[in-house]
Amino acid sequence: MKLLFVSKLNRFARAINTITKYVEAGKALGHEIAVFGEPSSEFPSVPYSVDVKRFDFAIFVIYETQDFPDLPYLAQLLDGMPKERRVIIDCTGRYNETIRVEHDFNHLEKVDNHQGWEWIEGFEAVADKILQPTLSPLRPNVHPFLFHAFDPEAVARHFDTPNEAVKAWLGENGSKPYGMTYVGNNWQRWTQMRRFLEAIESLRAKLGRICFVGWAWDCRPDWARELGIQGIDVDPDLLKRLGVEVSSGVAYNEFIRFVSQGRFCPIFHRPLFNHLSLITNRTFETFCGDTIPILMLPEKLVEAIYGPAAQVLVPGQDVAGHMSDMMQRPAFYWDAVLKTRAHLAQHHTYKKRFQELSAIFDK
Amino acid sequence: MRILFVMDQRVDRGSIQSVSNYVRAGDEAGYEIALYGRTDPRFPTIRFSRDVEAFDYVVFLVESWRHWMSALRMPRLLAEVPRCRRAVVDADGMYNQVVSTEAYDRNYAYEQTRAEWFAHYRIVADKIFQPTFIPREPDARKLLFYGYDPGQQVFPEASPAKAYDILCVGHNWWRWRQISQELLPAIERVRPQIGDIGFIGSWWDTIPAGAAELGVEAAFGTDLEWLRRLRIQVKPGVAYTEVVDVMSTGRINIMTQRPLFRELKILTSKYFEIFSADTTPLVMLDPDHAEMVYGPAGCELALCNEIDEKLVDVLSRPKKYREIVDEVRKHLARHHTYRNRVQELVAALQE
Repeated sequence: MKLLFVSKLNRFARAINTITKYVEAGKALGHEIAVFGEPSSEFPSVPYSVDVKRFDFAIFVIYETQDFPDLPYLAQLLDGMPKERRVIIDCTGRYNETIRVEHDFNHLEKVDNHQGWEWIEGFEAVADKILQPTLSPLRPNVHPFLFHAFDPEAVARHFDTPNEAVKAWLGENGSKPYGMTYVGNNWQRWTQMRRFLEAIESLRAKLGRICFVGWAWDCRPDWARELGIQGIDVDPDLLKRLGVEVSSGVAYNEFIRFVSQGRFCPIFHRPLFNHLSLITNRTFETFCGDTIPILMLPEKLVEAIYGPAAQVLVPGQDVAGHMSDMMQRPAFYWDAVLKTRAHLAQHHTYKKRFQELSAIFDK
Repeated sequence: MRILFVMDQRVDRGSIQSVSNYVRAGDEAGYEIALYGRTDPRFPTIRFSRDVEAFDYVVFLVESWRHWMSALRMPRLLAEVPRCRRAVVDADGMYNQVVSTEAYDRNYAYEQTRAEWFAHYRIVADKIFQPTFIPREPDARKLLFYGYDPGQQVFPEASPAKAYDILCVGHNWWRWRQISQELLPAIERVRPQIGDIGFIGSWWDTIPAGAAELGVEAAFGTDLEWLRRLRIQVKPGVAYTEVVDVMSTGRINIMTQRPLFRELKILTSKYFEIFSADTTPLVMLDPDHAEMVYGPAGCELALCNEIDEKLVDVLSRPKKYREIVDEVRKHLARHHTYRNRVQELVAALQE
């Protein structure tokens, strides 16, 4: 297949890691993958093309309006690729009626200047097929397609047994620099993060240093205050009390190395994503780190995506008790991590995604 | 003929007042005019439609921001309406070469950005109209676009009580240099002779978040301490449906214009709606430009020299200025009604 991805690449956000993986995996599988646009020195390993007609399908990977190209490029795309060969991957559930979950939403005019109906009519004008990274889309005309995937080759350290993993995890020369890391922007995460931090406050001494990487963990941005946007709150006093270090971001290709410096790494999805069972790149990529992922996700989603072994990585109501147990019996939990990695390698590789995509195109 | 406007509509700024007038004047003249979108209670006077194919022409009303013409909106419009039936009203003079005035205001910071806008316009539309008497680009057509609605006039007997001697209704967007160099020093000289003063609009007391990142911090200059010292009351902007009534609470209303618009002699809604209010409009324009728009009497209302004396004179001789304003209104009713504008738009589209 010759696939042309259409999206705005950003080293610190959205689908950059997934798209670069499609490029790599596609090449190995004999596909030709490129990103629409002029070559970018920021992403030297990503092939770019504006020669739309050379490709079989254009795949729009959409989080925000700016993921669509501006005119005149947009016109070039629409003219060069017939609508039946244009596909949208709707990464944030825009192609639904307006949904609000807590402070989270899939449409908000004051943020991006588009009303709900425009997302729906806009998507339908651009593409014949709309895909969402969930196993259970709400709309009957949406194809479930998880899009993001697990790359076994990217796993930081491979272990044959849980004991080997524990030995490395505890560190040959002592402990890892961080007890816990989290990489992600503070966008619709705070409600869950606050509950989580309050729950583990009693473990602070045992856990060690905590580091959050991403924007807006230090203070609520002015624009959010001006627009009255919730869901991007933060409590600097709480972070200070727990000694949480914050920093502005790690690039997509440094994520695994960074989280491997922490013993634990929680995975949170936005409230909207939990509601729609949408998954993200981090759903998979965190399992590549030399860390124990803590799955702060709905149990149903954990079972459907990660397989049965991953259930023990869900702390449930007693987060502190669960993490204490993880520190006392790491081999038990590393066993779950290794089994989950094996499950992901069997069911959620990029090779698998290409097969699924091909089946959707053939429909 | 059926005409569909497409714009980034805002309830308290931009050209929404004129679209409302086009809808009404179009109905009177037998043309169906609507705005692309879904009926919205914030815009009670606007007819909305999404039935793109039902319209003969689509007119994009473009101000100084074009990202609202996003890929969510454009594919449908581009696919369903051929380019020969699409036009752009270039309201903010973006379809010009790079113009920088007083090394302060400008339409573009970079030539590259200008080239991108031009490329964008050429794909979007076959015709480009500009609300100025003398467009500079050879393929831009003059279309004054904004107009006066005599029916909207607030008469003294129906006017709200006067709460201010001087009002300035508008947003602080590239206005500060003119305000701080010309208007405020004049007010300062005669402040004891003037009652309450109000600035109604956004960004007189704050710079919006993100202005620096977007490179437009200079557009929002302000000096809160000075405004406080001059006892100028700052209040938030009002919806287009209330703007004429709010203007009518001031004995004098001052119209300022960003330097770029002054340079390009671009008209805006404010040129005309200020004359619908029960007030004495004073326009910070060059007298020749004021005369071109408002007729000979308009020169008397141009606020460009001896501003302090003019303010005091208007407040002390209301009758004289009421007669001048009435004279201008007659001129506007003859030359600049929305009925005229609708006919001009129809003719321009059919050319």
